[in-house]
This record gives sequence, C-alpha cells and structure tokens, in this order.
Amino acid sequence: MIKKKLICIRRFTQSIFLFVFIYILWSATYPLRSFLAPEIFFKINPLIVFSAGLAERLILKGAVLTVSMIMFTLILGRFFCGWMCPVGTMIDIAGGLTKTKKSLPLMINNRLKNFKFYILLSIALLSLWGIQAAWALDPVVIMARFISFNFIPAATFIMEEALISLIKFFNLYTPLLDFYRMLKGSILGVKAHYFSNAGIIFFIFLSICSLSLLIRRFWCRILCPLGALYAVLTRFSWLERITSGCIFCTKCKVDCRMQAIRPDISYDKPECILCMDCIYSCPKSITKFCFIRKDESKVKSKNLNKQKGISRRDFLLLGVIATSAFFFRFRHKNDNILKNSFIIRPPGALEENKFLNRCVRCGNCMKVCPTNGLQPVSLESGLSGLWTPQLVPEIGYCEYNCNLCGNVCPTDAIPRLEVKKKQKMRLGLAKINRNLCLPWKKKKECIVCEEHCPIPDKAIKLKKERIEGKTVLRPYIDMELCNGCGICVTKCPTRPLRSIKIFAIRTDRTLQ
Amino acid sequence: MHKKSFFKSWLNKKISRKEFLKLCLSGAALLTVENRFIKLVNAALKSDSSFGRLKKDIEGLYDLVVASGDDPYSSTARAVELIGGMEKFVKKNSVVLIKPNIAWDRTPEQAATTNPDVVAALIDLCFKAGAKRVNVFDNACNSAKQCYANSGIEKKAKEHRANVFFPSHWNTLSAKFNYKSPMENWPIFREALECDTFINVPILKHHGLTELTLSMKNLMGVCGGTRGQIHFDIATKLVDLTGFINPDLTVIDAYRVLVRHGPAGGNLDDVVKMNTIIVGTDPTLTDTFACKLMDTDPLSIPYIKNASERNFGSIDLDAARILRVDV
Repeated sequence: MIKKKLICIRRFTQSIFLFVFIYILWSATYPLRSFLAPEIFFKINPLIVFSAGLAERLILKGAVLTVSMIMFTLILGRFFCGWMCPVGTMIDIAGGLTKTKKSLPLMINNRLKNFKFYILLSIALLSLWGIQAAWALDPVVIMARFISFNFIPAATFIMEEALISLIKFFNLYTPLLDFYRMLKGSILGVKAHYFSNAGIIFFIFLSICSLSLLIRRFWCRILCPLGALYAVLTRFSWLERITSGCIFCTKCKVDCRMQAIRPDISYDKPECILCMDCIYSCPKSITKFCFIRKDESKVKSKNLNKQKGISRRDFLLLGVIATSAFFFRFRHKNDNILKNSFIIRPPGALEENKFLNRCVRCGNCMKVCPTNGLQPVSLESGLSGLWTPQLVPEIGYCEYNCNLCGNVCPTDAIPRLEVKKKQKMRLGLAKINRNLCLPWKKKKECIVCEEHCPIPDKAIKLKKERIEGKTVLRPYIDMELCNGCGICVTKCPTRPLRSIKIFAIRTDRTLQ
Repeated sequence: MHKKSFFKSWLNKKISRKEFLKLCLSGAALLTVENRFIKLVNAALKSDSSFGRLKKDIEGLYDLVVASGDDPYSSTARAVELIGGMEKFVKKNSVVLIKPNIAWDRTPEQAATTNPDVVAALIDLCFKAGAKRVNVFDNACNSAKQCYANSGIEKKAKEHRANVFFPSHWNTLSAKFNYKSPMENWPIFREALECDTFINVPILKHHGLTELTLSMKNLMGVCGGTRGQIHFDIATKLVDLTGFINPDLTVIDAYRVLVRHGPAGGNLDDVVKMNTIIVGTDPTLTDTFACKLMDTDPLSIPYIKNASERNFGSIDLDAARILRVDV
C-alpha cells in the first residue's frame, strides 16, 4: 500500500503534464507530427481565450475546449493550478528545495491574496477597452516562452556540444557519429537556437520560481491572473473539504501551501488548489474532499456574506467599467503609426491593431520557424508590441514552402494559410543598396540573391551590363513578384551590412 | 551570538601585505595555466587539414556513356553497366559517397534537385558491387529538413539502405593545395574526403552566373563555410575544388531539365523532359557533353573554360569514346 496515495497521483499527473508540455513544444518543428497540436495548452486556457476574444469582440476558434475546462472547474474547483499547470509544477519543485514552511501573517495574506483579483480585473478592463494584456502575466504563456526560448535551445546545445566534444576528443568517429546524425535527424534537429530578449524571459521565469523559495506558491497566491480566474469560478464548485470531528490541532493549517485554511480550520475555497496535503497531515484522518449538496454548503458560507446590496466601492467600480466603453476608441487613435510599422510580420498576419490584440506571445511561431528568422520584438513597436514575432532576415528568412507559423498559432493572429496562398503573401519589399552590392559597387561577380530567390519567375532579375570594358551581371528587383521573404538578405555575402534589405511596405495583411 | 554572514565577514577581513601579494601571484598563476589550457583545447578542436582525395584514374570502357530512356532507374543502371560496371569503381567493403543535388526545397518534378530514382539506382549498384556503406548528403541552401523531404531523395535513399544525413559544420577538414589557390583553407566536409569512391550526381539545369549547373558546380555542396563567398572567382575555385575532390564517377541527371530560372526553378513550364543520363569518368568531359546537349558553347561556361586553359580534363568531344544507347 502506497503512503499518501492521492499526493503520489497528483505528483504523477503534474509531471505527466509538464513532460507533455515540453514534448509538444519540442516537437513543434518541421514535420509537425506530434500527437498533440502545439497550441492545445493555450486553447484550454480561459484567460487567453477570453481576453483575446473580448478585446477583439469575437469568439475564437477552439473556445469549446476552454468551456470544457470551465465545466471541470465548476465541478472540481481549482484543480488546474494544483494538478496541471506547468508553472505550478515548477514552483512546487523549486519550493521543495527548502524545508521552511513560513507563512504570512493572516492580515497581510488576506490583503495580498486579493492582489491577483485586481490583476485579473485590470486585464478584463483592458480587454474591454480593446487591449489584450493577458500575455504579460499568463502563467502558461510565461512557461511556454521559457521552454521555447531558453530550455530547448540550452538543452539541445548542451547535448550537442557534449556529443561533439566526445567525438572529437576521443576520436570516436566510427561508433558515435552515426548516433549523432540520427539524433540530429530527430530530437537535436531543432534549428531555432537564438532568440532576442531570451535573457529577460528567463529572468522572469526564474524570479517566479525563486519567489516560492521565500513563500510557498507565492506566484499562485498573489499574482497569477489565471489562478484568479479559476478562483472566481471555484466559488461555485461542488467539491468541498469536510472536517467534521476536528480536534483543532492546526496541523493542516501549517502544511497548506496556499495558506487557504483559516485559524478556525474552515477553508478559503477559492484559494484551495486541491493539492491534498491536508488529508495526510490530519492526525485523525478525518479531512476529506467530497461532493456535497448545495444547501449544506450554503449553511456554512451564510455568515460570510454579511453585507447585502451593492457597496459604494462596487458602485464606483461599475462606474469605471461603464465609462471605459468611451475609452474604447482611444486605442484606434494611433492607427496611422501602426499601419506604417516598419516591423516585418509573419506571412499573412492580421492587421497590426488586430494582430497586437490577438497575439498572446506564446512563442510557438518563433519556435516552429525552420530558419530561426522569427524573433521576439523588443520595444520597437511600443510596449503593446513586446515579444510579438517579427522576421529578422539577417538571421533567417521566410521559407517558401512552409506555413508552419500559421499552423501553430493558438489565436489565429497568424492565419492558417494553404502553402500556395502563403507563397503569395507579401511580407515586404526588397531593395538593393547599390553602394554596397558587389556587382554594383565593385563590379564583382555575385548572383547569390538571384540564385536563392524562391519565386519561380525570379523576383530578382539579372541584367548583363558592360561597365568600363567589363561585363557584369547586375541584380534588379522585380517589384511585382517580390514577396519579401528575405532569403536574399540572409544569403547576401556582404558584411557587416547586407547590400539588400527588406522594407515592410506594401504588405499583405489578413483583415479578419 | 549573532553569526555574521559569509560575505560580510569576508569583506571586513583585514589582509596583510604578504597575504595580498600571495593572492595576486596565485591569481596570476591560475590565469596563466587557464590560458594555456584553453589554447590546448582550441588546438585540439581545430579542424585538421587535408590535401584532398587521391586521383585514382579508373578508366572506363568508354569515356562517356549516354543512355536515354523513359525510366531513369533502368537507364542509370544500364549506363553504369556499359561504362564497365560499378565493380570497377567500388571495391568490396568500401565506403561510397553519392553526392546528389538536394540544395533546394523543390519536388522532383520541378527539376531543381537530382531525380531520386537515379540516386536509388546508384545506391543499388554500389551495394551489389559489395560496398559496405553508402553515404548520401548535400549542404542545402533552404532548410535542410524540408529539402531532404520534398526532393524525395531522403525517403528513396533510406528505402535502398543508404545512410542519409545532414552535414555537420564542425566535422570539416580545411583544404590545402600544392599551388596557390583561392580555395586554400576552405572547410570541406570530412565525409566527402574520407570515402573510397566519390560519385557525383548533379542535375543538369540553368544557372544565373555559370549558365549551367553541372558536375563541378554540384561539388559546392561538399564545402562548409559561407556559401555565398564561393561565387567570387567561381571558375578557378570550382576547378580547384574538382581537382581536390577528384570524383571517380560523374552521373549527370538530364532526365528532367530546368532550362530557365535556375538554379531554384519552381515553374513546371520551365522543365523540359530530355530522358537522358550521362555517365563519365572525367568531370570536364562530362560537363562539356552536357553543354552540347543544351546547345551551349562549352567555352562560354566559365569553369569549363578555366579547366581547358589549365589542361584539367579534356573538352575534346570528337576524340572521346562516346557510346549512346537507348534503354
């Protein structure tokens, strides 16, 4: 008989979900053959689906999955936080490093725990105004960015370097090289290894985890907006904790990682993440969770709702929400700036305004890009565009026969396009810098841009010209054909500046 | 008593002059040792150099065999058989490298990459001749995975038991020449040099700079480094490279030929079906014949001109023993 059976099951479930989370992101690469779609974890995330949907005033595809998650929450409670959330798992692992079971004073805890609801409220208000801000603090997104931008590149780098140095130092070419090549064809074949801003993204993740060293589940209790959303729903859930016959030893109160148990041993239901610790810390084994009828639970919580009617505070809050409808239009004031953005977006991305609202910065498109060309934007498009994807042709180009970025986008900020249709989507326009270009400036032979141009009729045309007694092939851009994929920039041999550049003008953006 | 933290106690510690000097000296010594160590590691990791593959000069029964037929597999097999059989080129338990053109993310019908059936025929012939291992790779211009998959070569070659892999840029040898060459110190993939037989399998197609992509141009796929840099002084570089690699057998796939918008192509209208396979032992002669097939003056192709000026192979088609067969 296993001791603490429920906790073992919980830990097992948590590690399974963490493993699956890493696996689906790791396998989000060229053939896209994993059994789960890379966007699945975001589609079941109600915070993302609702805030993006509300900001854009539409129902996103795959909202059914979110509704099913909500149904489960209405039955069980905040099970996602304790049993599924990959950040929660990492926080539990980090928190397990210390033995201290410090808890906050009751008053401070009561105040701080409400902080997450204010965060949730501000996200909801912003979405009402037409600004999707869930990307900043949604835990699943933070975890996905960490896995895609930090964990996978670091893990592949370490594995590869270790193998290479083994092969080189000990001259193991015969036995190990084939194994290395096999890995390179499968799990090490991830080509996305550089991401700008990866340091900040790692720091954010690290601080979330390390905060749990000071106070257990600090993030989940005080900051997490997704946790807050589930907490709101949990008020109506059926599963209840029952402690009839309690001897008030307060052991469960000390053990509770969410500090959800009050001094009188009743529990703060929205805070409970069903970690099942209190069942096993109870010396008399009387604590249990079970489904009880509504009228029974009502008796318990009756005393809590002392006030009736609407308070002044709530009234003011409602007033703010109502007036916010007026502010809705201010978002569209800077349309001109956004339309003239110089940032090269992925193929067929939505109009800039809509794109910023839809994009949840999960990093899926950047992870899946086979050339590593999609990079997170720093602050070039303002704070509202932080970590949205942009194509950096100096690093990688948009592969002609590839539509992977649209296939993994959870909110359709980059639409799913047929390869044929995607090939016609214009990302920008190439321009040659004739002061740098070798055939133009130095009359040298170079046709690299023309050679690589993937357009069947060649968007870069070569013309034979005689200059000072020398025949030179000089490249010209065909403005009609160029789709701005950027392979000419990637492959251009001049350094440090490339003699060809993509400008985000005349772009094809999807309207809806 | 309150215990001071480690950092605080360390900061407040008084240090004597002697101790200070000791600390400085030991630090300097440590840095020197470390510097030495790093240099040693770097020296060990530095890629080795090579003077290239030895020229074997295997004479075939004919200088060139040109097979035409509807099935690329059987025409390749027949042509190799007529030039003397694969046994002439591949010894028992030897390692063979087949270097097709898998540079572009195109389908076989678009004729930017070598026909997978030609590669499959060569793999089968090599194994029949007793090869221990057949390697197939190319340094792709587009994303390697997509190129390998869409060209159909990866699947076909793996079905025929060949080793298909992506070239690794750390696993190179730097090229050395007995004469002054622009290719000096260029990184060349180790697999291309450490093989017993090198079979070059280019596809005949149009190219912007060199007019035609032929066997010598196809050898660019065994070079690491910055690909774009090869295009300066391409003629000398390609001939030097061919002399460095010395391919034993050259099989030009002219089954489907891209006549415009090369080397990447993509338009099915630009593809002409010629149903021809050219097999030869001398890369220059084979390329010259392919030029004739395309109605191009061989001397207008920069690297053939360069090769003829340096007496590297022959471009004399009249003197060559050429066999034409229909399969």
